[in-house]
Amino acid sequence: MNVLPFVIIIPLLGVFSLPLVGLVGKKAREAWALLISGATLGVTSKLLYNVWSTKETLVYTLGAKSPMGQGVGFPVRIVWEVDLLSAIMAFTIAFVAFLAVAYSIEYMRHDTGLEKYYVLILVLELGMLGIVLTGDIFNFYVFLEIMSIASYALVAFRNDTWEGIEAGIKYMFVGSLASSFILLGIALLYGQYGTLTMAYLAEKMAANFTLTAKIALAFLIGGLLFKSGAVPVHMWLADAHPAAPSSISAMLSGLVIKAGGVYVIARIAFSVFGMAVNLRTLGWVIIFFACLTLIVGNAMAVVQTDMKRLLAFSSVGQIGYILLGLGIGLAAYGTKVGEIATAGAIYHTVNHAIMKALLFMVAGAVLHELGTKDLNELSGLAKTMPKTTFAFIVGAAAIIGLPPLNGFASKWLLYESSALFNPFLGAIAIIGTAFCTAAYIRVLYTFLGRPSERVMKAKEPGMAMLLPMFILVGAIILMGLFPWQISKGVMIPAASMLANIKGYVLAVMGGV
Amino acid sequence: MSDMGLIVKTTARATIPLIGIFGSYIVAHGHLTPGGGFQGGATIAGAGILFLLAFGLNEMRKHYNHHVYSSLEGLGGLAFLGVSMLGFSVAFFYNKLWHSGPFFNGKPGTLLSAGYLPIMNLAVGLKVFTGLVSAMAAIALYRRWRE
Amino acid sequence: MIPFQFITAFLLIFMGVYAFLYKRNLLKLILALDVIDSGIHLLLISFGYRLENNVLPTAPIYTGYETVKAPMVGPLPQALVLTSIVIGVCVLSLAVALTINAYRHYGSLDVNKLRRLRG
Repeated sequence: MNVLPFVIIIPLLGVFSLPLVGLVGKKAREAWALLISGATLGVTSKLLYNVWSTKETLVYTLGAKSPMGQGVGFPVRIVWEVDLLSAIMAFTIAFVAFLAVAYSIEYMRHDTGLEKYYVLILVLELGMLGIVLTGDIFNFYVFLEIMSIASYALVAFRNDTWEGIEAGIKYMFVGSLASSFILLGIALLYGQYGTLTMAYLAEKMAANFTLTAKIALAFLIGGLLFKSGAVPVHMWLADAHPAAPSSISAMLSGLVIKAGGVYVIARIAFSVFGMAVNLRTLGWVIIFFACLTLIVGNAMAVVQTDMKRLLAFSSVGQIGYILLGLGIGLAAYGTKVGEIATAGAIYHTVNHAIMKALLFMVAGAVLHELGTKDLNELSGLAKTMPKTTFAFIVGAAAIIGLPPLNGFASKWLLYESSALFNPFLGAIAIIGTAFCTAAYIRVLYTFLGRPSERVMKAKEPGMAMLLPMFILVGAIILMGLFPWQISKGVMIPAASMLANIKGYVLAVMGGV
Repeated sequence: MSDMGLIVKTTARATIPLIGIFGSYIVAHGHLTPGGGFQGGATIAGAGILFLLAFGLNEMRKHYNHHVYSSLEGLGGLAFLGVSMLGFSVAFFYNKLWHSGPFFNGKPGTLLSAGYLPIMNLAVGLKVFTGLVSAMAAIALYRRWRE
Repeated sequence: MIPFQFITAFLLIFMGVYAFLYKRNLLKLILALDVIDSGIHLLLISFGYRLENNVLPTAPIYTGYETVKAPMVGPLPQALVLTSIVIGVCVLSLAVALTINAYRHYGSLDVNKLRRLRG
């Protein structure tokens, strides 16, 4: 039985049936949301296992057996195409989303309008899963908008606070403009080549690469850099991610900027434009933005006094690392260095999703118990909330890249490849990490300092909030114990599958 | 939002059923003529919005139940999903009703043709109508702090 | 030569971007987003237009199509534009709802007033 369509069908079923289930009661609604996201996690893990064990690109056609039209030799239908990178992303998304839903059962207990909240969180998950699965460029746009609209609404979910509304409006305008750019790029590509299937588009583009396609590429990359929060246009991220409820911040910072930004840049740069465009130039463009993002994001994180804002800026910095790996993978396409860099980028995407989800959940726990996220008021938290502090220490150590944890392996791959590619880039990556370390050491210093009066009244959050956090801690430690097995066994094959552009095209077009 | 004058109310009373019928026609003929679920649903929702504008929020509150509307919206989505699952033995969204179904497989151009498309149009029409009316009612209700 | 409808489409897009960058009223910004989207829709729709043997094309309507004897415009761009319009409606209603909420909190529709978040 092909599990691929169920990755979309199950969240869709959950979204549509949630209003009906919600009529039964509050508990039923929460249980249903948890069940749906858990089932999605199960299906995506099966999908990941299938793709990983066969190392083949899965293709699923909507509405017919084969993507080809009747009597014509080119694909006319919507296809979903899953290679190892897509499967890894889908699994990460389902994993973090499941934990975010579990976490929000307690975290959002005092909020109203929860029937909308659970619908939106499932819609957000659905949109991201659709983005990573699809092999059709307009279908990708539709899923991108599904994801974006859900995330705008979730950022502004607490509409009785000015903070949420302001962040929501900024996020919405910037995001809609970026979406319009992406749509314009897609429209230009359609007008030039008359097809929307990514694989066929790649084949046609390799034969005839025109100026229109270059302009379309510029619009697409520009819009996607907006969406992923790269530096010249990162301000919305630092406003939007702290203003959302913490369970949503975990999903936004951990998943949305990657699924809707970095993953699609990788997919478009490699699989669609890979055979036509000069990958060295494109790679250097991305490396340029990556270096800016890396330095500015991490440096801005140091000076923040708001804990969630610090984490959001740190997300900007970590996106810089991922983009750096991706850019080197493009610029050094076809060499061993490029493969290592791409593998490091993929690995860091997964790691950062887990680490940043954990850190935002910790921030949410602190916010939930103390009602503040201002670092000046949080000194000495370790005395009254030791478990939460422990979770934070693990997350912070992982994001800095201390050896026994998972962040070390991915950052090592990135340092190694960037130093091999160009020592200057390696130096920039190290400088970024220095800033990152300074930011997190500051938070840790606050947490372990002398307790203030306000903190003494705090107590640990309930089990329903601690359990998702500790599952993430467990994942970080577990992934830290087998770093090279994971990178050799999963990430390097994913990178080589991503770099195998011909294979991606032939999976749809048939072995011609 | 207060209600409007007598002329607007009378005109609205006369036109709301007509708008509804026209919207239903667009939904039902979605697979034959331009239009379909979204356009027809939006037209019917136009009738609902006209009702809201002409008769005011208080009258709207008597006829609008949030739970009913959001449940109907969910039902529309579930019907869409269910119909698209009918041909799942071949593929998701496979048009089984058209290829081998017991009904909706008539001559192209007639009302009972095009397989799952009429059912999908009905489902989408229901979803769009309820969704747009809910959105409009929510936006109108949001303004309550001014009054 | 570039067909005139493409020029119109890009003019609309640039007008939208201009308004987006230089206008300060939230409602005008929403309109700017809509204008940009309209330009892209016009571009997409005009990709579907085709002239075969100097016969004007018809709309993609299947009722009584056999009697028309003219080429049909591409139905795919129309489907794309329809999808895009639906998405646009969602974004528009969300934007209006958020704008109403912003007016409640800030008492103004000026974007420059929405500057309380800093960092």
